[in-house]
Amino acid sequence: MTTTDTLTQPGPARSGAKPMIELLGLTKRFPGTAEAAVDGLTLTVDEGEITVLVGPSGCGKTTSMELINRLIEPTSGRILIDGKDMTHTNPDELRRHIGYVIQETGLLPHRTIAQNVGIVPKLLGWDKARIAARVDELLEMVGMDPATYRGRYPKELSGGQRQRVGVARALAADPPVMLMDEPFGAIDPITRERLQNEFLRLQQQVRKTIIFVTHDIDEALKMGDRIAVLRNQSHIAQYDTPENLLTSPADDYVSDFIGTGASLKRLNLSRVRDIEMATDAPTASVSAPVAEVRAALLASSWTSLLLLDAAGRPVRWVTSRDLGRAERGAALADVGLPVEAIVEPHATLADALDELIASNVGCTVVVDGSGAYQGIVDLETIMIVVRTVRDEYERFHLAQKLAQQPADGRAR
Amino acid sequence: MADTALATRATGGPDSAVLRRGGSGLSWFGMPVLLAVILGATYLWVGSLELDTIERRTLNADQLTRSTLEHLHMTAVSTAIVIVLAIPLGVLLSRPFARPVVPAVLGVANIGQGVPSFGLITIVILWTSLGFWPMIIGLVACSMLPILRNTMVGLEQVDRTAVKASRGMGMSPLQVLLRVELPLAFPVMIAGIRTALIINVGTATLGTFFGQGGLGFIVYNGITLNRTPVLITGVVLVSALALLVDYLAGALGRLLAPRGL
Repeated sequence: MTTTDTLTQPGPARSGAKPMIELLGLTKRFPGTAEAAVDGLTLTVDEGEITVLVGPSGCGKTTSMELINRLIEPTSGRILIDGKDMTHTNPDELRRHIGYVIQETGLLPHRTIAQNVGIVPKLLGWDKARIAARVDELLEMVGMDPATYRGRYPKELSGGQRQRVGVARALAADPPVMLMDEPFGAIDPITRERLQNEFLRLQQQVRKTIIFVTHDIDEALKMGDRIAVLRNQSHIAQYDTPENLLTSPADDYVSDFIGTGASLKRLNLSRVRDIEMATDAPTASVSAPVAEVRAALLASSWTSLLLLDAAGRPVRWVTSRDLGRAERGAALADVGLPVEAIVEPHATLADALDELIASNVGCTVVVDGSGAYQGIVDLETIMIVVRTVRDEYERFHLAQKLAQQPADGRAR
Repeated sequence: MADTALATRATGGPDSAVLRRGGSGLSWFGMPVLLAVILGATYLWVGSLELDTIERRTLNADQLTRSTLEHLHMTAVSTAIVIVLAIPLGVLLSRPFARPVVPAVLGVANIGQGVPSFGLITIVILWTSLGFWPMIIGLVACSMLPILRNTMVGLEQVDRTAVKASRGMGMSPLQVLLRVELPLAFPVMIAGIRTALIINVGTATLGTFFGQGGLGFIVYNGITLNRTPVLITGVVLVSALALLVDYLAGALGRLLAPRGL
C-alpha cells in the first residue's frame, strides 16, 4: 500500500468500487431493554474488501454482524447485498449464500471434516461427486492434505487446523460475502499470526467481500482494508483505512482505542516491496577468489560485503578483517558472520525492523521467493519511510483544512 | 483378541484410536458372562434341591417362562410408550417458546417419580379399572421423568456454537434439530432411557398385585408360602432381567452413538 493510494482515498465514500453490502439505519432493540443494542448502523462495504468492525466488548459489533445474516432479526433498517434488499427474504436461503466463520469454529463434532465442509453445498442440493471434489479443493486451498484429513473428526485436529476447516467450510459454496466473528480469537498468538497471513493470501485469490469482527485493534489494522471503530450501540466513531485511522484518528475515543505506538503500528501497514531498498551493497560469489572479493568491497562505500552462493542466495557478511583471514588461508565460506535477518518482499516493515534488531549486523536482507538476493533494508530506510508518511499526511490534511471542505464533516 | 476384532470393526481402521467404540473386552462381555454365571448357579442350586409340591407348582419351566414373558411385555410396552411420549415432549420443552411452561411440566413429571410407584399404580387403577393398560399407564407415569429430563438436559448441553454455526450456514430450525441437536444429545438421552428401563423392570414386579403376573408373582409366592428357593429364584430372575435389559440398552447406545464425540 503506497502513500499516494491512501491520499486519494481519505473518506469512506469512494468512487469506482461497487458496493456489495449496504446497511441502512440498521437497528436492534431487544425486548425489555431501554437502549438499542445496535442503533442506526449505516455502513457500506465495497466488493472484494475486508471491512473490520472493531470495538470494546459490549459495543454491539457481534450483534451488528448477526443482523446482517439475520441470525438476529433487525428491529428496523435495511440490508442490501449486491443491491438487492435482503431484509425480508427467507433467512435460511439468505444464509446459505453468506459464508460464516465464528470464534469457536462451530464445527459439528459428530461429522467428519469432509462432511463439515460439505454442509452448505449439501443444503444447496449439490450432487455427491461435486461436493467431494469441492471439499478436496477447499482443504487443499487452506493447506490441509485432503487424503489425510477428509475422514477425520474435529476433535482429532488442533485448534489452528479446526479454524482452517472453519474457513474452508465458509467458502464451500463460493459465497460472494463472508462474515467472520473473531475467527482467530481463541488461538495461540503464533498460530493466529500464521492463520492471519494465510487468510490474507487466500483472500488475494478469492476476493470475497468480508465483514470481520474483532476486539483487537492490531488484528483490525492487519486484516482490514477498512476499519469501522465502534463505540456503544454500534455507533461508528470512525470508518476509514488503517493508514488514516493511525495518522488521523477522528477523536480521543479512537486514539485511545488505537492505543500507544501508532507509529510502530504503521510499520505493519507498509511492505518491504513498496519501499526503496538499498541495492548498492557490494556482493560477491562465495566461490570467487579472495582478491576479487576485496576489490569489490573496496570499490563500494560499504564496510561489509555480502557473499552469495551459486543460486544468488545470501550466505555470509564479510568485513575487510574477515577477508584478511581468508587471505591467510581460511575458506571464504567460514569467515565473517552468517546472514540471519532475511525477509521476503511481502513482509511488513515491522517484520523487517524486528529482524534487523535481532540480527548481528544491523540490516535486513531482502530475498525473492526462491531465496535470491534482492536488496537491503536498514534502519535509515525505515526511518525515512516513517518520516515521509507522516509528512505527507500532514501536508494532505493541511491542504484539506485550507480548502475548508472537510470530506464528511469530521474533524480531521 | 475379541477386543481387537471389535475395535477394528467399529472404527474401520486401526489408526483412529481416539474414536474406538470398542472399549475393553470386559466392558462388552463382562455383564453377559456374570449373568450367565449367576443364573447357572441358581439353576444348579435349585436343581440340587428336593422340591415339594408347593414349590414345584411355581418352580417349573412353564410358569417361569410365562412370568418372564409377562414381565418383559409390561416393560417393553411401557418403555416404548414413555419413549414416544417423553422425547417429543422434551424436545418441545427445550425450545425457547416453551420456557414458561417448563417448571409446570417438570413438576407433574416429578410427581410420577416422587410418589411411591405402588401408590401411583393403585390410584390409576382405582381411577380406571383393573387391567393391563391401567398397569401400563402407571408404569409410564413412574418412568416419564428420566427420559424427559435427560432429553432436555441433553439438548441443553449441545455446544451452542455448533447450533449457531449451523443456523448461520442456513439450516432450518428443524434441520438443526435433526442433524445437530438430537445426534449430539443422544448419549445423554440413551442414559435416560436406560434409567427408565430399569425403573420399569423393577416396577413391573408390582404387576402381580394387580392381576398382571410377571416375575413379581414368583417373588410374592416365595414370601407368602415361606419357600426360600422360590423367593430366591424370583429375585434372581428380576435382577438378572434388569441388568440384562440395561446392558442391552447400553450396548445399543454405544453402537448407535454418533462417532467423533
